[in-house]
Amino acid sequence: MDKKTSGVSHLLARFRGWIQAGATLLTNIHLPNFLKGGLYQGKGKAVCVPGLNCYSCPAASGACPIGSFQAVVGSSKFRFSYYITGFLILLGVLLGRVICGFLCPFGWFQELLHKIPTKKLSTKKLKPLTYLKYVVLLVMVVLLPVLVTNQLGMGDPFFCKYLCPQGVLEGAIPLSLANAGIRAALGSLFRWKFIVLLTVIVLSIVFYRPFCKWLCPLGAFYALLNKVSLFQMQVDQSKCVSCGKCAKVCKMDVDVTKSPNHTECIRCGMCIRACPTDAVSFRYGFGSGKQKSKTEQTTTEVKTEESK
Amino acid sequence: MNVKKIIALLLALVLVGSMAACGNKPAENQSSNSGEPKTVEEAKALYDQLMAQETEILSANSELWEKVFLVADKGMAMVEDGNNYGDFLLKTIEKAKDQFTEDELKLLTEGATEIKGIEDKLAALEEKFPDLLDNPSGGMSVPSEDVPSDGIVSGGTTADNSNAPKFPAFTGKDLDGNDVSSDKLFGGNAFTVVNFWFTTCKPCVGELGDLDTLNKELAGKGGAVVGINAFTLNGDASAISDAKDVLAKKGATYQNVYFDADSEAGKFTENVYAYPTTYVVDRNGNIVGDPIVGATSEAQATALQALIDKALAADKG
Repeated sequence: MDKKTSGVSHLLARFRGWIQAGATLLTNIHLPNFLKGGLYQGKGKAVCVPGLNCYSCPAASGACPIGSFQAVVGSSKFRFSYYITGFLILLGVLLGRVICGFLCPFGWFQELLHKIPTKKLSTKKLKPLTYLKYVVLLVMVVLLPVLVTNQLGMGDPFFCKYLCPQGVLEGAIPLSLANAGIRAALGSLFRWKFIVLLTVIVLSIVFYRPFCKWLCPLGAFYALLNKVSLFQMQVDQSKCVSCGKCAKVCKMDVDVTKSPNHTECIRCGMCIRACPTDAVSFRYGFGSGKQKSKTEQTTTEVKTEESK
Repeated sequence: MNVKKIIALLLALVLVGSMAACGNKPAENQSSNSGEPKTVEEAKALYDQLMAQETEILSANSELWEKVFLVADKGMAMVEDGNNYGDFLLKTIEKAKDQFTEDELKLLTEGATEIKGIEDKLAALEEKFPDLLDNPSGGMSVPSEDVPSDGIVSGGTTADNSNAPKFPAFTGKDLDGNDVSSDKLFGGNAFTVVNFWFTTCKPCVGELGDLDTLNKELAGKGGAVVGINAFTLNGDASAISDAKDVLAKKGATYQNVYFDADSEAGKFTENVYAYPTTYVVDRNGNIVGDPIVGATSEAQATALQALIDKALAADKG
């Protein structure tokens, strides 16, 4: 049984790139629209996709959960979106940040950029910045669209409007290429967001997934639910030799042996592949595995401290 | 690992492509308009190009031009018959010169002089090829009997656009329940500014007040503003009451109309995916120029004014 799950874990981790590509394609299935310069506006757009993927991407199959949330709370009729929040909680519980690691198109985009061979820098020392994304979620997505409104009570989608680089990459750029009217409408806002996109691109080459780590409000939401998600990391303490390879290889700066359900863990499985004893694996479902590993973990911590 | 390199290369290309998209390309326009046109088609192409150049000049410093138009709207008569539009601009600039810095004045004057030159060329073309005014551009699928003398404007600037130059005919109602038909609606005005919006679109709602001001302004010139709220298609009662509520709150009194979503006009509306989008339609239901995407009260005001001026000039000419 153990062997089987670790086999599946290895497989998932190994073919993650292809799963990301497939997810990106499914999230943006209406490819001919890139040439036509229009948007798909059918029924699919009433449903949110799991990852950060702009509604205004010509090919987009569904709506962006973060964009939809802001659109709803920013409208004069509603102050909170129970439907989208419920959807996000459901996804967060079922999958958590595995969505970031496997399904998010913008996460994949940053990873591809990171493959460009240059000197890579660690983000370990920049850990305080990881809290910034919660501020973005709270302020730009939840509060500002409700609080800063016009006379009719309509707010702006602040995150989409002022920060989201995915909107420029998938929406503004392809649409303005294909449509002269939209090209003519580009102004200072576009310039600002283009700079944001360029910055994220440059940072992504040097750092691993900077946007996911520091800014993404969707990642922040899933991060909170990562703790209670059914999809978790599991460290078999009986196999672990405390070699520290998993922590070393982790690009999200997580030590899986200490905190398998860390908010920053995107379940990319690099630790699974790095582990020499196959002690790390994905785990799905309810159960006592977590409890057990926690008690074991504390005892090992005590042991290691003693051994020091 | 070749795949990675290819992907990196592709990404780089996308990036370069996107940068290229941001630059404007007036140089292209200028390089290809030398040489006298021989056929009507050539003249047509040249005509379109000149019009595009004019729009380009106006949209390059739209904020400045906006100021100029503000002055023009208050005091001066619009372009009169036979008057050069460039002259009109120059006069207006002269009148408002204390509002601008020296650099701005220079920029505006240069622009207006350029437009004057273009207008002269346009006038010469019209004289040389009187057919130009009777025929829409060659490739357009417009039944010619539907396009009278002022078809030039619609045929003219949409030549580089695959959209049909006709606004789809429709019968529907306005938000007060009165019957509306596109023939009567467009036919009753020299030109109609058609604004697509929807109730929960903040930029759309933001310009409703300005559009109302515009509507009042245009009344004296034979023009009108008409709104089409995408939510109200098919006459959904609650959508209509929401829309009316918003219109009332913004003090917008101009006519808003709706029609069936399955009609041609309904499909046309479905294809509008950027809101607000504003069309200028002439007396015969032809779309003038390219639609304005985005709120017209901001940077795009100049472009709208240019379309209106053109529609008006064509209607008089």
